[in-house]
Amino acid sequence: MSLRSTLTALAALAIASAAGAQDNPRPEGLAPLGPPPIPADNPMTPEKIALGEKLFFDPILSGNYGMACAACHAPEAGWAVQAPISFGYPGTTHWRNSQTIINAAYYGKLFWAGASGSLEHQARSAARGGVAGNGEDDMMESRLAFVPEYREAFREVFGDDWPSVRNAYMAIAAYQRTLVQTDTPFDAYMKGDDDALSDEQKRGLELFAGKANCIACHNGPLLSDEAYYNTGVPPYDGWEDDPIAQITYRFEIYAKGVTEAKYRKLKDDPGLYFRTKQESDMGKFRTPSLRYTAYTFPYMHNGMIETLRDVVVFYNEGGGDNEFAANKSAQIQPLGLTDPEIDDLVAFLESLSGDEILIDYPDLPVMEPLPAQN
Amino acid sequence: MLTRTLLAGVLLMGSTAMAQEAVTPEPPIEVNAARAELGKRLFYDTRLSGDTSLSCASCHHPDKAFADGEALSQAYTGNAHFRNSPTLANVGFRAAWLHDGRLGTNLNDVAREMITETYLMNMDMRIMQERLKQDPVYVEMFKAAGMSEPSNGGARNALMDFMKTIQSRNAPYDTGTMSSAALRGQLIFEGKGNCVACHSGPRFTDDKPYNTGVPTNPAIWGEPERHSTFVTYAKFFGVPAYMTLREDLGAYVRTHRPETARSFLTPTLRELTYTAPYMHNGTFETLEDVVDFYDAGGGDDPLKDPRLQPLELVPSEKADLVAFLESLSGESFDIDAYVWRADDYGYEVIEDWRNVQN
Repeated sequence: MSLRSTLTALAALAIASAAGAQDNPRPEGLAPLGPPPIPADNPMTPEKIALGEKLFFDPILSGNYGMACAACHAPEAGWAVQAPISFGYPGTTHWRNSQTIINAAYYGKLFWAGASGSLEHQARSAARGGVAGNGEDDMMESRLAFVPEYREAFREVFGDDWPSVRNAYMAIAAYQRTLVQTDTPFDAYMKGDDDALSDEQKRGLELFAGKANCIACHNGPLLSDEAYYNTGVPPYDGWEDDPIAQITYRFEIYAKGVTEAKYRKLKDDPGLYFRTKQESDMGKFRTPSLRYTAYTFPYMHNGMIETLRDVVVFYNEGGGDNEFAANKSAQIQPLGLTDPEIDDLVAFLESLSGDEILIDYPDLPVMEPLPAQN
Repeated sequence: MLTRTLLAGVLLMGSTAMAQEAVTPEPPIEVNAARAELGKRLFYDTRLSGDTSLSCASCHHPDKAFADGEALSQAYTGNAHFRNSPTLANVGFRAAWLHDGRLGTNLNDVAREMITETYLMNMDMRIMQERLKQDPVYVEMFKAAGMSEPSNGGARNALMDFMKTIQSRNAPYDTGTMSSAALRGQLIFEGKGNCVACHSGPRFTDDKPYNTGVPTNPAIWGEPERHSTFVTYAKFFGVPAYMTLREDLGAYVRTHRPETARSFLTPTLRELTYTAPYMHNGTFETLEDVVDFYDAGGGDDPLKDPRLQPLELVPSEKADLVAFLESLSGESFDIDAYVWRADDYGYEVIEDWRNVQN
């Protein structure tokens, strides 16, 4: 960038900011979304991303050769599942809501209670989980070796003699880092385009950062502070009447590790408690990003709230109740929003989603016989 | 003996008086009858596999003496097995299990291996336990078997007890009703053929591994689902060069001693009429083929057991030997005592869920 153009850009920005400061101040604590962080040990290359895309859609990375990542993170369903609880592995159901892949690249920790520290680790956990992919690394790695296209791609991208399943997770994570959305109306507005938001949305933003104080947790470019709270989301209602869901519930608390007394007694998802084993963390979940939420209904860690408006109403009423009430965040209090204010807030939330991100599914290679090399 | 008879009576209740009076190769193993009955229901329950597609009985059919009639067994969805499904007749008397003999402890461990192995039933047993707790029939059966509630360990013990009840019954060899051809065959078996060198004891096996030069089954390497399953297995057991390997190393996976390569446990000769095809990889279709194989001195392998030499049997001797082998097969296991007939597998909602203890 030349000096002249830099100066021009700065001048334009100054004008925009000045105008904004005058008519439409941008709230402190929010920002447009930049490019995602790329870990130094997993640099992006076009070949790696292309490999990761295939692997994301390939059911080869599951126990039954039937459950790709995309099974529960489908592009046409907001890169998630548009049902309260994610599909489980055949014969099971999951117990939490499937989160969108879009912008997952920005989170420091993955899963609703932050159980994974990287996309690479998350991919492996999901591929192996008993009510998710139910795969096992040795088996999935063996299968990859029988796909000529993968042999070639893993050699080219990673230098593998035979495909390493750990590198499969690296490639998938690289692909996921391309699934971002940084051009929403909100981003344009935050960058200075006063016309990017409607008047209704601007009023909603003011409520978001003011009277409703959503910004207390939903802040930063991701609109998440990545901290953990219990806001009183009610328990998943399927546990009342779905025997498969009851099975998965008990499996999860058993497998994730609680005392027998807790295994006998708990009836809701303890969330962050699994990681910290602190009573005070029972029922806490990470603040989710509000981006791309136009496509990721229903909402909350267990999908118990159907629409964005319902979510706003939920918080307007001061959140809800669950069995971990002692840990409910004190910040969750009735907001006293009027119906028009609720409409404004919902309109603002809609500005956090851009166009739906849809892609053509990649052609998938298949396993072929592997004759002896002589 | 009184205890044993009573237990057998309970066990086989509802089948037949004939079964109670059956002549078996060895005295029955004492088991907890209620636990064995529970094991019988578990044996036929597909919910013991990850995607609920396979039960133990999927590869161990009662009408085939608990083998499956295939050269190479099926395996978990997306896989195919590289070995022949063995009979479970008299399985409780074995000293080691699986063709490579990698389990030498007990049938509880065998059940665990089959249920949890990724290419077999691929079951996270923690999910299995919670599935069992969701089925009121199991809740009652575990209680009846003296266990407070369904559990992984309890399920494995129950499967163990059920498997211990699977015993050969009324084989002509045991009832003294062998044909004259079979009697002549027995003399060859114990004499000129010296089959008895390894096929010894009431089950006609010494439970030890030998290399007899059985040819490889090319289907293992020709089908990617089967070959990749083999690779999964070989990799797990630390076999070198598993990607370029094109042979089943048998007991080597356990010993890692080169001289044990391609050796496999002596199989029982009980119930052979139900369990074709034969050998660890199902490579021989008939008993005549097997006899011809050993008559020729076994196969071609530098590590072949030196006792395998051409036998020079004439056709009538081979026929007699086959007749003897056939006399070691008893009555079908496709009877109520060994088959869970009720179509009663299901889950029920736990009512008032929030207020009952998990």
